[in-house]
Amino acid sequence: MEKTKLSIISQIKNHFNDAREKNYPYNRVDFSVRKEIVPQVLLYLKDVMGFKHLSHISCVDWLEDNEFELVFIVWSPADKIKVFVHTRLDREHPVMDNLDMIWRHAHTYEREMREMFGIQFTGLDAPEEFLLEDWQGPPPMRRDFDTETYAAETYWERPGREDAQDVRETIEKRTGEVLPDFAKNYKR
Amino acid sequence: MHEIIQITWGAIVSFILAFTVGITYMGLNRKITARIQNRIGPPWYQNFIDVIKLGSKQTSIHHGVMQHMGPAFIMVTSVMSLLIIPILNQNRFFPNLNFHGDLVFLLYIMVFGPLGMALGAGQTGNPNSAIGVTRGLSQMAGFEIPWVMALVALMIQYKTTSIVDLMNIQVETGKWLMFSSPFAFLAALLAMLGMFRYAPFDIVGAPQELASGPMSENGGKYLFVMMSAGSVFAFAKLTLYVDLFMGGANNLIILVVKTFSLYLFPMLYGIVSPRYRTEQSVRYFWGWPSLFGLLAILHAMFF
Amino acid sequence: MINDKNSQKIVDIIRNYARKHSLWILAYGTGCGAIEIPPTMTSRYDAERLGVRGAATPRQADVLLITGYLTTKTLKRVIRVYEQMQDPKYVIGFGSCTINGGMYWDSYNTIKALDRYLPVDVYINGCMPRPESVLAGFAKLQELIQAGKADGAKKYKENLEWYRENQKKVIPTWRMPEYNW
Repeated sequence: MEKTKLSIISQIKNHFNDAREKNYPYNRVDFSVRKEIVPQVLLYLKDVMGFKHLSHISCVDWLEDNEFELVFIVWSPADKIKVFVHTRLDREHPVMDNLDMIWRHAHTYEREMREMFGIQFTGLDAPEEFLLEDWQGPPPMRRDFDTETYAAETYWERPGREDAQDVRETIEKRTGEVLPDFAKNYKR
Repeated sequence: MHEIIQITWGAIVSFILAFTVGITYMGLNRKITARIQNRIGPPWYQNFIDVIKLGSKQTSIHHGVMQHMGPAFIMVTSVMSLLIIPILNQNRFFPNLNFHGDLVFLLYIMVFGPLGMALGAGQTGNPNSAIGVTRGLSQMAGFEIPWVMALVALMIQYKTTSIVDLMNIQVETGKWLMFSSPFAFLAALLAMLGMFRYAPFDIVGAPQELASGPMSENGGKYLFVMMSAGSVFAFAKLTLYVDLFMGGANNLIILVVKTFSLYLFPMLYGIVSPRYRTEQSVRYFWGWPSLFGLLAILHAMFF
Repeated sequence: MINDKNSQKIVDIIRNYARKHSLWILAYGTGCGAIEIPPTMTSRYDAERLGVRGAATPRQADVLLITGYLTTKTLKRVIRVYEQMQDPKYVIGFGSCTINGGMYWDSYNTIKALDRYLPVDVYINGCMPRPESVLAGFAKLQELIQAGKADGAKKYKENLEWYRENQKKVIPTWRMPEYNW
């Protein structure tokens, strides 16, 4: 049975009253839901509506709102429609339900998010280390983590040359060529 | 006493000859491969440079006693088979240790080297070595069958197990054995593909998948010994083929011409081939080569 | 006679000639640099005519070619590979990432100067260096070997504490085997 986007929206809204939808062009529909009902929404999408494939789980750091946003992207091979399920977590204590019994490969995404953002997934059975080996700083993908300072403190930086020259000025001097105005904005 | 000195002298000279010619053949192999791939390629003496470099490397690898013994086993096998195989007709210049029944002895001794290497590679504890050894032994189970069949056919046909006798027969009748017993020659020639371990039968030391297999933990001087032993053994095998099937050689130039033209066969077959899997390789040798071996035995028994 | 100075000199000349013309490289393909190795080795640029040839394992290799950025995680492996190699051994740092971090200068996980952690004999700069520059780098290394100046391994042994200190700074939990080389 062919499903349209509107039928999907109405079906979801009938089941989950507080889901807020956003209808994008082409084959994309977005829903925002509370974090408690995310597993139910995803299970419903998978088992009843045929969204069999979890494409991705991504995380967005809303530092100004003091919140994390998780985005689950699921895809229906039959209807060729993808559904984005958004949810917001508290940034101080980011805790989320573990989803790897719905889709096995959610495990990998969850491990990565635990390492990079410090989000705890209750009941995630995996070793603590994933991509970063013996990492001791704060989770590096958080926006309040200052990468540049950390790198400058941790890794020795080779000092630049004393006689380093500005490329554009040198060319200007050597050839007498007049630089256009916009090029002067990009000085080193 | 005089005889002992002569034999020792012959052994030393034939070893130097085998080493030089073998290494040169390996270098020519690299050069010809490069030319076929439209490259310039290394100079023909590149393998001499490699051998000197490997010999001058410091070596501090210790995995156990057998690991040190493994390359020595291969060297011993190569030298021993070289000493038994007569280099020229009528034992001219290079008196050898051949005796009646040396063909049977050779069949055993040629397997000894890979087995010693298997023991040595096993002790290094590298998983790639272990896989390489299992592959090598399975492949040996493949190509030994047509090879043994070919030799048995010769033994039945001419009622001798001595290489010198077979050479003398060819000299007396003036007819090479590759014409008078063609099936044995075919079977032995196809078995040679597996013996040289060039593509498509380079499943033992496949550098891309096994990281050179049994040799993966052996660098520097071990590799030096293995490389020299390999080239000596290659020369010994080629000489054996020339002795058995191509009428031997009366002087060194004819020997080099004959061995090199024989060597071109596995080399050129290898350049244009990809790599087999283990079971494909075994199946290859148990197919047509074994059939030719069987035909050779029937031919020897009834004609 | 064997250990006399002049004969040692002759032996050294032969050795250096052999080492110079037979470089077996272990291409440690970190980052994007690995893609420049195939054109260097195959028929267009054909490094084999200079005696440069790929080696399969660290035990057989002479040159460790580090092609690109090194994260702290990879650095661990590179150090282990380097310490398994047999003397004489050389390191070529390949690409700007090994020199000063390149475009990963502010990354939280990438080291910026390789020669703090391993002794580098030759640097090839560029992002990425073309095969011509790679061949020029090999030629430079050959020159150094001929002159007997490519002594990175000796430097590493003499200043081992300094190198270890730097290595342990970026690899906090040090679980490495001790090599008695």
